[in-house]
Amino acid sequence: MIKHFFINILRNIRQNKVFTLINYANLVIGFAVFILFSALISHELNYDKFNVNYDDIYRVQTRQEDSHPTNFCTYSPAAYRYHLMADLPEIEKVLLMREVSGGANSGQFFTLPDGSQLYEKDGYWSENSIFEIFTIVIKEGNKATALTEPNTIVLSETLSEKLFPEGNAVGKQVTIGKRVPLTVTAVYADFPKDSNLRPTYLVSMPTYDVLSGGSEYRDNWTSITFDNYVLLKKGADPKLVDAKIKDAFKNVKDYEKSTPYLHPLSKLHISPNSQPDMIVGLGILSFAALLILILSSVNYINLSLANSTQRSKEIGIKKVIGSSKKLIASQFIAETIFHTLIATIIALCVAYLSFPMLNHILNKNIDFILWGNWQLLGFVGFVSLLVGVLSGLYPSLVISSYNPVKVLKGKIFSNNNNSISIKKILVATQFSISLFMLIVSLILFNHVNFILNKDLGFDSKNILYTEINISDKTPFETVKTRMLQHPEIADISFSSTIPFVGNIGGYVTWEGAAQNEKEMISRNYVNYDFIPTYNLKMAYGRNFSKEYPADNQACIINETALKVFGWTDPIGKRITMYGKSYPVIGVVKDFHPFSVHNPIPTYIMFLKDNVISGSTLLTLRFTGDEQKARYLATSELENIFPNDPFEFKDFGVAFYLDFAISFWQSMKRMFMFFAVVTLVISTIGLFGLILFTIKRRTKEIGVRKVLGSSVRSIYWQLSSEVIAMLGFAILVGCPSAIYIYNTMPGAYKEPLSIMVFIVSVVLVAIIAVLTISYHVVKIAISNPVEALRYE
Amino acid sequence: MIHLTNIDKYYDSKFQRTFVLKAVNLEVKEGEFVSIMGPSGSGKSTLLNIIGLLDQPSAGEYTLYDKTVLDLKEKVKVDYHRNFMGFIFQAYHLIEEMTVYENIETPLIYKGVKGREREAMVADLLDRFNMVAKKDLFPQQLSGGQQQLVGIARAIVGKPKLLLADEPTGNLHSSQGEMIMETLKALHEEGMTIIQVTHNEKFAGYGTRIIRLEDGIIRKDEKY
Repeated sequence: MIKHFFINILRNIRQNKVFTLINYANLVIGFAVFILFSALISHELNYDKFNVNYDDIYRVQTRQEDSHPTNFCTYSPAAYRYHLMADLPEIEKVLLMREVSGGANSGQFFTLPDGSQLYEKDGYWSENSIFEIFTIVIKEGNKATALTEPNTIVLSETLSEKLFPEGNAVGKQVTIGKRVPLTVTAVYADFPKDSNLRPTYLVSMPTYDVLSGGSEYRDNWTSITFDNYVLLKKGADPKLVDAKIKDAFKNVKDYEKSTPYLHPLSKLHISPNSQPDMIVGLGILSFAALLILILSSVNYINLSLANSTQRSKEIGIKKVIGSSKKLIASQFIAETIFHTLIATIIALCVAYLSFPMLNHILNKNIDFILWGNWQLLGFVGFVSLLVGVLSGLYPSLVISSYNPVKVLKGKIFSNNNNSISIKKILVATQFSISLFMLIVSLILFNHVNFILNKDLGFDSKNILYTEINISDKTPFETVKTRMLQHPEIADISFSSTIPFVGNIGGYVTWEGAAQNEKEMISRNYVNYDFIPTYNLKMAYGRNFSKEYPADNQACIINETALKVFGWTDPIGKRITMYGKSYPVIGVVKDFHPFSVHNPIPTYIMFLKDNVISGSTLLTLRFTGDEQKARYLATSELENIFPNDPFEFKDFGVAFYLDFAISFWQSMKRMFMFFAVVTLVISTIGLFGLILFTIKRRTKEIGVRKVLGSSVRSIYWQLSSEVIAMLGFAILVGCPSAIYIYNTMPGAYKEPLSIMVFIVSVVLVAIIAVLTISYHVVKIAISNPVEALRYE
Repeated sequence: MIHLTNIDKYYDSKFQRTFVLKAVNLEVKEGEFVSIMGPSGSGKSTLLNIIGLLDQPSAGEYTLYDKTVLDLKEKVKVDYHRNFMGFIFQAYHLIEEMTVYENIETPLIYKGVKGREREAMVADLLDRFNMVAKKDLFPQQLSGGQQQLVGIARAIVGKPKLLLADEPTGNLHSSQGEMIMETLKALHEEGMTIIQVTHNEKFAGYGTRIIRLEDGIIRKDEKY
């Protein structure tokens, strides 16, 4: 029996090669997409699971209720560690960490053996308890004391190999920032890629005490720049601990609006700020993947039914010679399950090979685990079985209830119009979905181009910038004169932030504001040259100028601020920030300090002392060759600040690395991927439908041909049905795409272009016409006698 | 064995009722070889299908060995097809995806005959019809007469009591037709009950009884 079952399947495949190919392509695509996204979701949900203490690790985060809407901040003050959590009995371990520099990349310069500087991101100050809370594999050194002493550092394996290619790093010295010598006490294996915390090196907290000049930070409740982790005792109730921490916090009345809360390790990756964004995103992705799987099973059903005309005779005979309905139905279901399982196995391989593509689409570097991830494989197997049963069920019922007398006489599909219209609706729905995906991906395509090309309001070309932490105060004019003696360097300025890099917030009130009215602003401290360097245009008033010594107590606002403050004559009006009042001397035309995705904020510039010191951003505008300008600027700056490491970066890189832009590019690629997949699947659907129609009407078409009907009229008949479906798809697809456009986040959008719709509809129409043509050509070259022979 | 009483078969359309069979009374005894004759549309095939439980009469009584077989459950009907009757068709209706051997074997599988026994039974028939050399061929590779022989082999492999043949020679040359009829005759002589539908007077003559149908009514019933 089983042998016959397989022989039967094999012969069916051999007889219908094209059909089998299409059917398998359909199932494999459906399953491969499903597996890809299951693997992605499994990856996202399994972050940090390698930690032995997974269930008991929490980060203490900060809920800032004075921000609107309430801001959930992953950072918290160091005082939590020393004043709230130190003595709670439920807490097993506490861990205080801080990124090594407050900047965006949180990096430090290391001096390589050859004397050159290496910038390494993701470094942390950390207490030694990190080794007891997180599961970290030590390669060298002793983890019990690795971070307990001042001036010690622990390196990741990768960094250790860079700094000490010869090995044996423990006990050796490294220098960070050209000035701080540290002793390596241990080397740990790199954190896995699915770890939320992935430090490249850890510097001991006692070192921080030394460098920050004491331990006052331990009593600071306002500097929300630390990471507080806790390990709860086994069985401790996190809700209780959360309540206790909050209770203890209530005693610190002044800061009641930034309250602590426990955030479990399991949520750190998918919802770091307690916001559901990523969960919603994953939900949408799983829905789309599931939808594609459903579409391909619908195709399987349609194709099986289309093909069943061919098998109807076989079924009829089997019934006459003693096969029961149940046997035929179960055989068909078994056949379907067999096909789906094989398709799943092929799809697993396809998915495995497509992971790099998915990484490219998502702009990520995920190590997908397929083989050995039994949870995932089991799930995929289960779904595959389910799809097999579900998509085998309906055709099996239809096929097994064929009346043998009718089937053997070749009359099977009379009065079957009802099920045809269901099929048409299904195929029309598929087309609606693919049209929708196509339009949305074109909208996103336009949008990405739009945000990449939108006028930013400042001149973003030919800009190099660097972060530098200067140890010795230096008058900016010395730097400027030395730099500008090279014709390649046109302008130079320094500031606390530059567009797209960094942000300082704050609250201000202004002349004419209502009682208690305040506004969250973005502020920047700049020198005289900032506005000319970035080519910002003044709308009113003037730039800071050395001719007005009082300018160091003045400010320049942007047009948005002007609107918010409601002033008509801004010059001389005053704003107040943290109790200090500043007159406005100018208004700059609006420019984008952040990506175009965000609205332009209320932006205020203050004048920096014209002496550079501490951490600052240096910007220069070059003319001509970038390499040469970079070389000149680097060597000049190295001469001026021999003790301070830095690295010039191209502004364009910062711009493209901007989160919003890479997000939109991922979205664009994602939708294009889905558009292609749904288009292929709906083409297969249409193919199946037309195949079905034609098989049903083979005789009719044969008779028509004998009577002298032209191929054109057959063509027209089939096309008219497809045109109706296309019409349906347009009615459904276009409004939903418009809806997506309207709900699409982003402060600035390009107006919707009609071309997007035309291109999509035409593309879908062309594919539909090609599909019909394939069938019609097949009929046209077939001999009508063939169709009529079996009568 | 077969007892049909007042069998009607009709189709209702909006304004009229079209009779295919009208008040058919027929008794077939075990061991008879009945030929049903009549012009196209006289209801021969419908009658055969009703006897073969492939079709339901609109009215009347049908008993097999004194048991009524109308409105049978699917399961019981399948049982009759497996154990009691075999079918032969004008267009042979072999399963094209299966070899000669498998075509003959299939009914035995449905019947639940064990592998060894099955092999023996199929081999026996292949031998009897001189088709051993052709057992691995597919139906399309055989001549019409040979295909029909396979059809007969498949119909009788399960040792049915009743063999129903719907124009078994309709698609064949006369020489091949005769060969088929001789085979049926031999089966009859071994004791099998056979009912065939045919257009051919000469082949009808192989039977022991000829029933002539016209417009759904039995006009003549001659025994020889």
